Amino acid sequence: MASRQTKPVDEVPRIEVLDESDRNPGVRTVRVIRPEPQNASFFPATLKGLGVTLKHFTKNFFRSRPKGNTDIETLDYPAIPRSGEAFGDVRPDPETRPERFPDYYPDRFRGLHRLMKRDDGRVRCVACMCCPTVCPANCITIIPAETEDASVEKYPAVFEIDELRCVVCGLCVEACPCDAIRMDTGMHAPPVEERGQAIWTKDKMLETKPVHRKRDATSIATQGGVGPDWRDTE
Amino acid sequence: MSDHKTDNKPDKTAAGKAETTPPNTVTLTIDGREVTVPPNTNVLEAAQSIGIEISHFCYHPGLSIAACCRQCLVKVDKMPKLQPSCQLIASDGMVVHIADPDATLARQQMLEFTLLNHPVDCPICDKAGECTLQRFYFDHDNAPSRLDVAKVRKPKVVDLGPHIVLDAERCILCTRCIRVCDEVAGEHQLEMRYRSDREELGTAPGAVLDNPYSINTVDVCPVGALTAKDFRFTMRAWELMATPSVCNGCATGCNIEIHHKNERAWRLIPRHNPDVNQYWMCDEGRFTYRALRDNRLAGPVIDGLPASWDRALGVAADKLKAALDGDKSKLGVILSAQHSNEDNFVLSKLARDIWQLGKIYLGGKAPVPERADDKLRDADVNPNTAGVKAVARAAGYTLGDKSALERDLTGGTLSALLVLGNDIELSDEALTALAGLDALIVIASSEDRIARRTDVTLPCAMWAESHGTITNRQGRVQRMHAAFPPPGQAMPAWEIINRLGQACDVALGYTHPRTIFKELCGAVDAFKDAEWGKPVRPLQLRFAGSRG
Ligand code: SF4
Ligand code: SF4
Ligand code: SF4
Ligand code: SF4
Ligand code: FES
Repeated sequence: MASRQTKPVDEVPRIEVLDESDRNPGVRTVRVIRPEPQNASFFPATLKGLGVTLKHFTKNFFRSRPKGNTDIETLDYPAIPRSGEAFGDVRPDPETRPERFPDYYPDRFRGLHRLMKRDDGRVRCVACMCCPTVCPANCITIIPAETEDASVEKYPAVFEIDELRCVVCGLCVEACPCDAIRMDTGMHAPPVEERGQAIWTKDKMLETKPVHRKRDATSIATQGGVGPDWRDTE
Repeated sequence: MSDHKTDNKPDKTAAGKAETTPPNTVTLTIDGREVTVPPNTNVLEAAQSIGIEISHFCYHPGLSIAACCRQCLVKVDKMPKLQPSCQLIASDGMVVHIADPDATLARQQMLEFTLLNHPVDCPICDKAGECTLQRFYFDHDNAPSRLDVAKVRKPKVVDLGPHIVLDAERCILCTRCIRVCDEVAGEHQLEMRYRSDREELGTAPGAVLDNPYSINTVDVCPVGALTAKDFRFTMRAWELMATPSVCNGCATGCNIEIHHKNERAWRLIPRHNPDVNQYWMCDEGRFTYRALRDNRLAGPVIDGLPASWDRALGVAADKLKAALDGDKSKLGVILSAQHSNEDNFVLSKLARDIWQLGKIYLGGKAPVPERADDKLRDADVNPNTAGVKAVARAAGYTLGDKSALERDLTGGTLSALLVLGNDIELSDEALTALAGLDALIVIASSEDRIARRTDVTLPCAMWAESHGTITNRQGRVQRMHAAFPPPGQAMPAWEIINRLGQACDVALGYTHPRTIFKELCGAVDAFKDAEWGKPVRPLQLRFAGSRG
């Protein structure tokens, strides 16, 4: 209510509540303020819109990116980055020219999930069940199991995400206390022919590496969070 | 911590004012509020009675007071030092300050002290979500660790006995588990060794933690130091739903909570009942949930082959009608001490009041004398023997026991049997005679023992899957709530008997166990004052806050 009052007058919706409504509670009578006759026809606006399309068409058609023009709006998805100088060449190669790799997406773009590894290659996830708990789509299935290693104790024997059901909210990544799950792969969930194919398994997610950023598949975060030797007595 | 152990003398304070107070109440002031409590109540409990929780670890309402954790310090007027409220007996005119800055700071610092070497590996700790330390941390401290040297390391994954694993690093040395073994189980199996920050829990020399009440240590442990092998790492506490019920492991009828998820029970936890089981239950009782999963019968069976309900009831009714039209005295009915009062009452009514049968027996598991003790465990491993007997007594007949049944079977005086439950174990001769019966109709939850070779088996719900009451050895009528539906096409036994009656042209007309219970209360003296109680919805632990 308070925010409603502080709104500037010109932002208040142009709908007036007439006095009759007070006499007849439950029924609201509104008066719709119609546009001026000259604006009531959509013809001028349609022409204006087509003009914009035409402008971009000619710009793209005659001054394309391969010719070095970088100020155009249409992107040659998925081959070419948004920014950069020379684009006359082919698809950027992530191995040789990582700095030029397509960067259409903001840094925090949420792509397909991947699971992080410990230094020794084992899965980082400790099956704490925070991510399936927080997941609004209920699409994470984890079956925990016990390991021989007393300092790890628990690991996911099964870890599956149904990417069809996932709503890409990223809450699983937020919830993870161990930096064990990330959505930084930059990949979209590919189309599938059967529902079962959209279920990403533990092995698949452990193998996945980010496509457009050269990042190691192991996490730099430390278990326990304080430092590598946080528990050692020596 | 140990140097604080003898510094206060609550008895003296309480005795000083004894002459001037009326003998059965004490009035004190806690944070400006007057509280009247019975004498010998400690300040922590007095505060609890007005809804103020003082943080505590070593205090447990069912155990003796150790006052070793110092987490419950409060300020009391006219006392020079802060007092542990769990050990301080409330006395008249006492003025207690809980929210006082000094007391709050002391509790905060005690908590920081407790957390000093704590591993805080909550993600892999099975107690997370129901951990008292977690809860008090959020309530009190909420600050990062200030420790800048390495933490003291202690052994993890220590096998203490057949059911329990210890993580010594997480132990906060509250000694609750030691007191459970000493005071509840009566066996000294756990001990502390070493001193100060190296102090460590372990089994007493030559002992293993194998007493029949050992898993209670897991319940009382305020942290994740003790975990039950049976439940460890299968499930997070917050994923479960809790439904109140009564243990069906023996005639004691310990009050329990069924913790279940996805229509499956995962563990049983004792529920406080001062008159039956206090805060405890036995280990064997905890494992009875496994029978709810194993080997269950999901659909009716005719001659060993699956059948529909309509056909199974039709075949059963034909056989029963044939038996009723012939020599009625050769039709026997077995009630079950494993089933609820409602199930037995409906069957008793059908057999006795309507069919006027003479041969009614009591089925159930054979007693196990070696499990009996003077605590909770009873030799009678049937939960409802008292209830079935009361039902029979009220209807004015005596129940035949197992030997009578065996005699009648081998003697050839029975030609048809309608059996509730499949827990009765018969001698070999009786089993042979059973195979020769004209009709054997069993209402059972699994296909073993007597239900192995039947004419018709009708699948019924087990105790966690239907509403009902059972009567324990003290004669208390206790209510069980259905936690989840029975598997497949199985139905509660009262409903099966209801339908079976209908198929035999008898309209019993029960629609809910509540109506059966009402009738039962009118018909049976032992149930006169019993109440059905309100429906209880399963409590989702996820939204119940931490119950640590
Ligand atoms: S991104 Fe959201 S919906 Fe998808 S798995 Fe994670 S939490 Fe679930
Ligand atoms: S939140 Fe992280 S550690 Fe926990 S189960 Fe999910 S991925 Fe594993
Ligand atoms: S005992 Fe409690 S605070 Fe300690 S690791 Fe386990 S859940 Fe966390
Ligand atoms: S194991 Fe648990 S109950 Fe036993 S002393 Fe340690 S914290 Fe207390
Ligand atoms: S000292 Fe009071 S609860 Fe531990």
